[in-house]
Amino acid sequence: MGAVHLAHDVLDAQLVDRAQEKIGRVDALLLEIEAGRPPRVATIVIGGAARAERVGRWFVAIRRAWRAMFGQREEHVSRIPFDKVRRIGDTIELDVEERSLDSEHLERWLKEHVVCRIPGAGGERK
Amino acid sequence: MKKWSEVALGVVTSIGGFLEVGSIATSTQGGAEFGYRLAWVLLLGILSLAFLMEMTGRLAAVSKRTYADLLRERFGYRFFLLPLVAVFVVSFLVLASEIGGVSIALQMATGISFSWWAIPVALLGWALLWRGTFGIVEKGTALLGLVAIVFAVGALKLHPAWPAVGHGLLPSAPSENRARYWYLAVSILGASISPYLYLFYSAGAIEDEWTIEHLGVNRVTAGLGNLFGGVLAVAALIAAALVLAPRGIRVDRYEQIAMVLASPLGRAGFVLFLATLCITCFGSTLEIVLAIAYMLAQGFGWAWSENLKPGKDARFAMSYTVVILLAAVPIAIGMNPLALTNVSMVATAASLPVTVIPLLVLMNDGDILLNHTNGWPSNIALVIIALLSVVLLLAALPLQLLGGG
Repeated sequence: MGAVHLAHDVLDAQLVDRAQEKIGRVDALLLEIEAGRPPRVATIVIGGAARAERVGRWFVAIRRAWRAMFGQREEHVSRIPFDKVRRIGDTIELDVEERSLDSEHLERWLKEHVVCRIPGAGGERK
Repeated sequence: MKKWSEVALGVVTSIGGFLEVGSIATSTQGGAEFGYRLAWVLLLGILSLAFLMEMTGRLAAVSKRTYADLLRERFGYRFFLLPLVAVFVVSFLVLASEIGGVSIALQMATGISFSWWAIPVALLGWALLWRGTFGIVEKGTALLGLVAIVFAVGALKLHPAWPAVGHGLLPSAPSENRARYWYLAVSILGASISPYLYLFYSAGAIEDEWTIEHLGVNRVTAGLGNLFGGVLAVAALIAAALVLAPRGIRVDRYEQIAMVLASPLGRAGFVLFLATLCITCFGSTLEIVLAIAYMLAQGFGWAWSENLKPGKDARFAMSYTVVILLAAVPIAIGMNPLALTNVSMVATAASLPVTVIPLLVLMNDGDILLNHTNGWPSNIALVIIALLSVVLLLAALPLQLLGGG
């Protein structure tokens, strides 16, 4: 593939890690602008905070109020350098591990505290 | 050989999928109040659904991606929230109605009030999802759902006047009770064309690992399956027209619908009606709750598959767990299942534009569908369905107020 259309092919695309595990979608794509250097695509962001900003300021406000009500303080957002991209196709493969991502916090928490306490949850395939 | 068994299974699945709480309720209401006159609306619903399922199935088989996945990627997160919220809300209402359908059938069978059944039904459904595979959910309930053929037997035994039925398949409008007529028309369309059906279908194509080789299977499943399923809904309408209309009974409780089969087939008809209501609604319960979990997981990029153990896709598994239990609440606190069903069907009809109109873009995208993009017949059909969906959105609320009572 020659030219890649950032909005069409990268933003919102399904992300997978080294082991092809699904690790969310490209919720935001950041340009880095430094004095004296041309702008470059620097970061892929995964996480609810990044999504909320794309909807609008009102949505960010509602989300903030909602989270305050439940005492959630930490934003589990992953910021991944663009040079971790290994392949761009139907999905985008990143040279990362699912376990190391902050944006997968909820998945791990649910697995540990809820799902694996219910019988029949373990193993690979049913 | 394997192909043919897949075709047969697909067709059977669609039959079971078409007839559920919404079509049973709205078809018999239509027959009871307007004879055969609303049969054409059912036909319109069947054709629309067949086209939508063929397209979303083709989309998945060619691109190896689900409809929800492409909705998020091609239209962006901001737009995606619209179908996500709309589908979530209406599917939740329909899900609660299906749990209500199972619970009412169990009430009629045991004498124990439906509100006591809602939570056990939801728990049983949850356990099947937690332990079972996609094949079990898809095929198990579909095969049992064949019991719905009893509607065809009942209708035939009542010896309908076929020319009159044929006349009902042509559009017409009554001179009186117009608001009620069009209200029921909207309900019937909402019951036939449910977004969860094609969202589930496109996710199912990925679960079953469809490829371009399956395009034939897809076409037959979407076409014949819905046709057979639709015939059973027409049969329910015919039976209601012959049993309930002459007695002047307007369906406002599920017990009255049982008469539709008990009258021509006696005690066996009553028992088979309960079995049909119970099994088809339970099958739809599983499909809807999965459709909601699929849409969430695919939209947000979580791991998902009904063939994985819940420990491998925790957010997906917790989604269906929470949704099925919450959906049992309205019935458990005693909400009238039939009233809930009617509201759900109208809401479904109103929700259609946000999941139908994006298909116009996706189905003509050669990057996604290669040389399997829509031809002109499919595009004409899709434009008509899209226009219909906008009319339904605009008409739903006024008709609910004027004709809902």
